Formats: sequence, structure tokens, C-alpha cells
Amino acid sequence: MPNSSPAEAAALVVSVEGLHKRHGSRPALTGLEFSVRAGEIFGLIGPDGAGKTSTFHILAGVSEPSGGRVRVLGLAPRAARERVGYLTQQFSQYPDLSVEENLRYMAGLRLVSPEHWRQRRGPLLRRLGLEPFADRLASQLSGGMKQKLALCCALIDRPQLLLLDEPTTGVDPVSRRDFWDVLTTLAEEGVTIVVATPDLVEAERCHRIALMQQGRLESLGSPAELKQELALSRLELQGAAPAAAEPLLCGGAIVDVQTFGDRLDVLVNDAVAGEAQVRELFRRQGLPLLELRHSDPTLENVVVIRQRRQAGELPLLPFPHPAGCRHQRTDLAIDARQLSRRFGAFEAVRQLTLQIRYGEIFGLLGANGAGKTTTIKMLCGLLAPSSGAIVLAGESERLRGPDLLRRIGYMSQKFTLYDDLSIRENLEFYAGVYGIPASLRQARIDWVVASCGLQGQEQLLTAQLPGGWKQRVAFGAAVLHDPEVLFLDEPTSGVDPLARRQFWSLINDFARRGTAILVTTHYLEEAEQCNRLCFMVAGENVIEGSPGAIKAAQPGQVIELLLPPEQLQAATLLLRRHWAAWRVSRFGDRLHLVLDHPEREIDGLRPLLAQAQLSLEGLRRVPPSLEDAFIGTVQRAQARQGERP
Amino acid sequence: MRRVRILAQCRKELLQFRRDRLTLGLAFLLPLLTLLIFGFAIRLETKVIPIVVQDFDRSPLSAAYTDRLFATDQFRPAPWRGGGDPVAGAIDPGLARAAVIIPSEFSRRLKAGQPVEVQVLVDGTDANNARVIRNSIQGITAFFGADKELIREPPPVRALTRLWFNPGRKESLYIVPGVYAVVLWIFPSLLAAIAMVKEKDKGTILQVYASGISAAELLLGKALAFLLVGASVAVVVMGLGGQIFQLSVVADPTPLLVGTTLYLAAAVLFGLLLGVRSANQNAAVQGVSLVGFLSALLLSGFIYPLSNIPPPLSLVSALIPARYFIVISRDAFVRGTGWAGVWLDVLMILVLGALLYGATLRSLGSLQLGDGGEGGP
Repeated sequence: MPNSSPAEAAALVVSVEGLHKRHGSRPALTGLEFSVRAGEIFGLIGPDGAGKTSTFHILAGVSEPSGGRVRVLGLAPRAARERVGYLTQQFSQYPDLSVEENLRYMAGLRLVSPEHWRQRRGPLLRRLGLEPFADRLASQLSGGMKQKLALCCALIDRPQLLLLDEPTTGVDPVSRRDFWDVLTTLAEEGVTIVVATPDLVEAERCHRIALMQQGRLESLGSPAELKQELALSRLELQGAAPAAAEPLLCGGAIVDVQTFGDRLDVLVNDAVAGEAQVRELFRRQGLPLLELRHSDPTLENVVVIRQRRQAGELPLLPFPHPAGCRHQRTDLAIDARQLSRRFGAFEAVRQLTLQIRYGEIFGLLGANGAGKTTTIKMLCGLLAPSSGAIVLAGESERLRGPDLLRRIGYMSQKFTLYDDLSIRENLEFYAGVYGIPASLRQARIDWVVASCGLQGQEQLLTAQLPGGWKQRVAFGAAVLHDPEVLFLDEPTSGVDPLARRQFWSLINDFARRGTAILVTTHYLEEAEQCNRLCFMVAGENVIEGSPGAIKAAQPGQVIELLLPPEQLQAATLLLRRHWAAWRVSRFGDRLHLVLDHPEREIDGLRPLLAQAQLSLEGLRRVPPSLEDAFIGTVQRAQARQGERP
Repeated sequence: MRRVRILAQCRKELLQFRRDRLTLGLAFLLPLLTLLIFGFAIRLETKVIPIVVQDFDRSPLSAAYTDRLFATDQFRPAPWRGGGDPVAGAIDPGLARAAVIIPSEFSRRLKAGQPVEVQVLVDGTDANNARVIRNSIQGITAFFGADKELIREPPPVRALTRLWFNPGRKESLYIVPGVYAVVLWIFPSLLAAIAMVKEKDKGTILQVYASGISAAELLLGKALAFLLVGASVAVVVMGLGGQIFQLSVVADPTPLLVGTTLYLAAAVLFGLLLGVRSANQNAAVQGVSLVGFLSALLLSGFIYPLSNIPPPLSLVSALIPARYFIVISRDAFVRGTGWAGVWLDVLMILVLGALLYGATLRSLGSLQLGDGGEGGP
């Protein structure tokens, strides 16, 4: 900040000017400029390969910038290390040490005095809910608890700055929410936080965010500013038969349409003109429209629209299916009953029953370690179940038989492409493996290349592609042989929002053609796109059904409260004093409160908030989101059974 | 340099070490196995060698000579039926390693005071043992001559040899102190290398980099932990080795104590150096085993005498701590000369250890990620 006054400069916890970083010959960061003020939650938002981790490495002092000036707490990052806590993207506590031993080790490295250790240990473990697990080995913690342990270790020395590299990726929604609540409180206590997240709903909770793309900083501001900059309005259409209405909503004031379960989000240039256009359209088509609400665009809108304006969208090309439609089938594509899988004493999957029809998109949701990947591996025959029966595409034995393999597509979590082959060589290899007739090969490979927007770059080595692109090519390779059953293990993790939407268009296209699709994902908002889904916790199926049915089965009524962003945390704490914690949750820039008797309870709500000088800007009943449903179900189950690890 | 950090690092390493069955096995089970295998199985000098004697003389004197040949445990008669050519019948098929052919006029010529030639044919495939066989037969023959007073005039100069330190030529006395050097080099360094490279494999190294610990503190913390582990390995191995092979310290034990401590420190630093330099656990384990075994077995004087190593290689051998430790160990258990005999070797281990410390510290660098991407330094 060349022009800032000394006082302002002193309040800057991080200042980055013209930061460059190269890894070998590859530029990782190009001309980054930003600063972070004391007590701020600053978000680094972007897809894999955007340069978030490289930025954290430099801020944490573990790698040197290739150019530019970086100051952390007024010092060079290396000199400031003792006042900075860092959560790496990969879990970096010791799996073979217990919670307590990890914490003690970090306290030793950070020179925490024995007196401080005694004072801080207990309260810190309690605050993050780890006290009952102090003697448990870190390797035996769930994903969410691991991250809490990492945060504990970072906090033991009371750092002034916390660097958090995707702390909630792969963490279940309940732990995620707890984690963010802790972060918000820390920020209020004056700890400055720089956090990266691929989740744009979470990003709403940052004070300011920097949107990053391919090592550059694209845009910077508070979520509200970024939304304003977009100069678009969002209309939420409730009960509007999305499937029928979505294709019609185009042209005029309409910029973008997206379906979220039974809700349609329409982005318009002008709110008034947009509303008129939408209402007219629905009237003419005789479609129902229960409710139309004006609202601000979401961060996802901001990112998608910006990207589209910049790079344009990839065309959605139809897959070159063989002539003639595949005949519709009514039998089950996957019929798995009472599946269990044990690894030693550990039961990864317990008594799971799944039935998936052809043409259906089935979502398998859950945190890291919930058993999703184990389930997929059992279903496609890579792993034998300990007990239970599987019928896959009509076969119950020889799940790895060559005939069956040719009808199955599998895209695994890790890239299955060979890094040292070119894109075309990879695709040709898979075309050969699947035994695709020579007459179809060329057309299909061309389709993959074109739908990834990689024409003319087929000779590029796969290793040189950024993560998101690799993922798309891997998807292409998994569907080259037009499989009847398709397994997708986290196809969209680390992919930018625009590419995620394209992924889902492709998935939908295959489902319409009769392919049965089983997909796992971290993102709850993506789950809305599934026909049916099941949510796994510790190897068990906790909720199953269509998104609509799951939401309808939730007890109580969700009340959405709109408050100024700076009052949200205070309001959360206030409400949690009056209602059980699971009933109150932050949802982006709003609050969700679950009430059993809304008629009576809402009356008390307004004076309660007014008394605490909190200004309620809006209040309405909304159908529960999947996140509400999940958090509610899990926490009610926990309340019934007592604390379950 | 903060003592607190070094101790925190050391305590963490020991906790991890205790919890991992692989490292526990590497630390205690494998060294004992190695000691037993080397201690019992390696015999440089062959005993009870099968030979054949073809006696054309068949006199009491030639029978006495034959008896004399088999009187020690050096030779035993090979299962050969006799008759025909002993080379084709016994040596070629591998039944015997040597053939002694006594001529028909053996007894007659000896009694007449004339010189007689006994033909000895030795299988030279194993050059070392061929020499041993030749020397033994020559010795026995000379003794036979003197004993029977067949040689009237004793030679004017006679060498009277006597074996010091190991009068019974008990081979374990020579081998086992050498095995100590091999075992105490390989296993502590393997453990240290694994502990270092594991931080990279698991990604925990980033947390260490970010914590503000210095390279020296990290290095000393890890080295201290594995020095303690190594010391307990040494106690176990030397204790049990002493019991099994009946070895005891025959001199002032302080050179052994100081030398072992320095030697273990050097081994641990060597492991840490390879751990820092390797990209993953496999590379580290292979690197340490290969370099460690090759140097400690072949270039240390454990098996082959150091004086036999030709010039360019002998320079390499001068850089191998095991060579100096073998001297210290053999002195403590066999020779017993104490500080006077081994002070230079102790000093050399100290110097080499310091060099390894410097090299490892340099390799750790500034505890930062390199520009090559996500890998190690």
C-alpha cells in the first residue's frame, strides 16, 4: 500500500505487493496485490491451481517469493512465523500421535511456557469439542475432528494471524458449521484470518474476498461489493415447475437461470423489467408460480458470470451416441443389499442397501471417511464386500468380467490419466482398453477434446493441464465407451463453479439417455441435482430419498432471517441461548432458525432481537435446504443417542 | 538454539518410534537376527576340510604320517574309495579339496636319510582356503619330520610364532566385534532416515517449516531421539552378543563407551542426511541399506583386510566410520590395549560425525520449500 498512512500500515496484518512466484518454469502467482486488516476474515477463493496454496506457502514463510514484497505483521514472513498459525491443505498433524501429544509437540516447537500450556490446554480442547478425545490417535479422528485438532495446534501459541488452506474441504456439514462459528468468534477476539475455500456458500462469511484464477487476483472486495459490482438482480422463483420453466427463461432481461431443487434462480439485468418478463412468460405458458422474491445475487453468481464474461462458456456438445436410442429399461442397474465392509476392526460400510435405476442420478453424500469411496469400489467390483449381495447391470457374479467392464464407467477420485502421456494418447489408450470399434473411436475422442475446449492442444502432456481440466478429460475418458452404469467419485472437487455447472449438464445428458449414474460429492448444493440421494455418516446411511422428500420429512419450519452482515454472529449467539444449537445455523449471509411452532414463537423473536439492538431486515418461511435437513437429522440423532464419536 | 524445541522434537520422535511396530522391529529384532546370522554363519576359515591320501608306500611310517594329517580338526578323510587317479576321482567331483600322494619309497628313502617328495594337489577355486590348506599340510609335514627326528640338522634360523590375543584362533572373537559395527551402523541410520522422510511423505514437514524451528534444532532433536534408541540397541546387542559368543570387555571400557556413542551419532546423522535427500520412504530405505551395507561390510575391514584395498578405494574406505569403530570394538573385546591403541580411531569418528552433521544441516537448508514445486527442499 504505497499511499497508506503509517497508522493504516500498522493496522495491516498482511500486505502483498506485486507478488510473483514460479515453480520451475511454470508461473504460479502473477502480480498479486492485496492487504488484510487486523481482525478481518479474508477469503482466497478460486479453483484448484488458482494459486491459493502457493500464496499460503509464502505467507507462512515456508517458501520464498520469486518477486514482489510481502509483509506479515510488519515483518518478512519468515521472521513472523512465531506469530502465525498455519493449517495446511493436507492434514499435517502426526497420525500416529494422540490429540494431546500432537498439541504438546506443537506447544514445544512454539516455545509455549509450561505455565501457559497448563492454562490453555483444557479450554482450547473444550472450545473445539476435543476434550473427550484427548487420548485418541489423530489417525482415528473423523475429517472434521482432524481439522479441529489442526486448528487447536495452530491456536496453542495464540497467533495473531491464522492461515487456513481449505480447512473445511471434505468435512461434514455439522463440523463445518462448528468450525466457522469458531473462526467468527476468533475474528471478533482480534485474530486475523486468511482462509481459502472452494465453497462459495461458505465464502459469504468472509469480510472480504479475493477471487483468484490461474495465479492472478481477479477481483477483491466484500461479498456485498462484489455482488454490487455485478449490477444484476436475482429473482427466486418458488414452486415454479423448474424442469418445464428453465428452458423457457432466456433472452430479454434474463442473464442466467439455475435450478436448485424446486427453486429457480433467475439473474436479470433489471429487477423490475425482469420480474415483468418472468411473470408474463409463466402466464402465457400456464405454469404455476407460487412466489417470486427479489434478492441479491450470490457469490456463485458473481464467479460464474465473471468467468463467462471473461472466457466465454464451453459449448455443451451432445455425445456422439450410436444411431438409434438405447431402449428404455425398467430393471435395476445397481441392486446392493446389506453391504458391509470391514478393514480389520474398522467397519467402513455398515449394512448399506442401495437401488439405482437406469436413467437415474443417485447422489452419495458424506464427509471424508464416511465410506463413499469404499461403497463405490464395492459396487463396481474393485473391492469384495465383507457381507451383502450386489447385482450390477444384471450380473451378480464376476463383477470384474470383461463383458461387464465394457458396460461400466468409473472415474475415480484421483486422476486416472497418465501424466506422461498426451491428452490424445490417454484417450486413445482408454478407447483401446474399452474395445471401442474403430469406426466410433475418432468421433468420440474428438467429442471429448471439443467438449473440454482443448482443440489444437491434444498433444499437450496431461501433466501440464490444470486440475480442473484434467478432471474434465478424465470424465471424457470414463464415458468414451458410452457405459450403461457410470460411477463418478467426486468429479467436481477442485473444479471452478462454471466448469461444475458444465459437468452437471453432461451428467444430466447421460442420465436422460438412460445411463444409471452414481455420483459422490462434497457440495450439498450439488446434491439438489440428483434424483435421489443418500447421506452417509460413519459408514451408515442416515437419510435417503429424493431431495424433495428428504426436505419434506424434516420436522418444524425453517425461518430465514435477514440481518446486516456485521450483526449475524451476535444474532446467532443470542438465538442459541434461547433455542437448541442445531436449530440455529448460519447459511451464507443469512440465518436459519428451525421452529416447531412458528405461529407462537415468531412473535417473541422480533422483540428479542430488537432488545439486543439487532435490526431484523427480513423474515420469511422457507423450505429447508438439504444442509438444514442434514444438520437437523444428524444432531437430532446425536441428541437421542448421546455423544457419538 | 532453544533447548525446549530440541526436547519437544526428541520426545515426539520417541513417541512415534514407540508406536510403530515396523520401527520397533527394525530397532531390536533385526539387529539381533543379524548378529546371530553373522556370528554363527560366517566362517572365513574352513575347518574339517575333506582331503584324500593316496598311500603307495603302505609302511608304518606312511601310516603314521597319514594319522598326523588327520590328528587336528583341520582335515578329515574324504569319502573316496581309493584306487585310480585321486584328481579325477575325488577332487574333480568335489569330494575332496586336496589330495596327498605318498610315493612308494617314502619309508625307505627317509630311513636312508634321503629327501623324499610328497605330492600335494590342492583345489585352488577358493584361493584363500587353498593357501590355508597348503600352509597346514606344510606345517604338519615339518612337524612330522621334526617329531620323528628324521631331519637330522635343524635349519639354522627358525621362526617361532605364537598367536597373541586370540591364541585359540577362535573366529567369533574376530567376527562378532565386527558385526557390532555393521549392526550399529545400519539400523540406527535406517530408523533415522525413515523418521526424516516420513515427514515429507505425510506432509507434516510443512507444519514443521511453519513453526519457526531452526534446522539445527530439528536436526538435533531427531538425532538425540535416535541416539537414545541406538544406545539401547547397542546395550541389547552387545549384552546378548557377549552372552552368546562369550565375549567380554578385556580392557578399559571408556574408549568403547565414547566410541560407541560417537559412532551411533554418526550413524544417525548419516540416516538423517539420506532422509533429507530422498524423495520418499522407499528411496531412503534402499539408499541407507545399500550404501550402509556396502560400506560397513566391504570397505570397513570387517571381512577383507584394509591393507588389501587398492588406492582409490582405500581413500573411500578412510571416510567410513565403521572401519574405525571395528578397530575400537576389536580392541575392547580382543586386544585390550585401551586408549593408547585407539585414540586416533575415536577422533576420526568424531571428525566424520561432525562432517555428516554439517552436510545434513546444509541439506536441510533454510527449512523451506524449493522452487521445484510441492516436493521437499
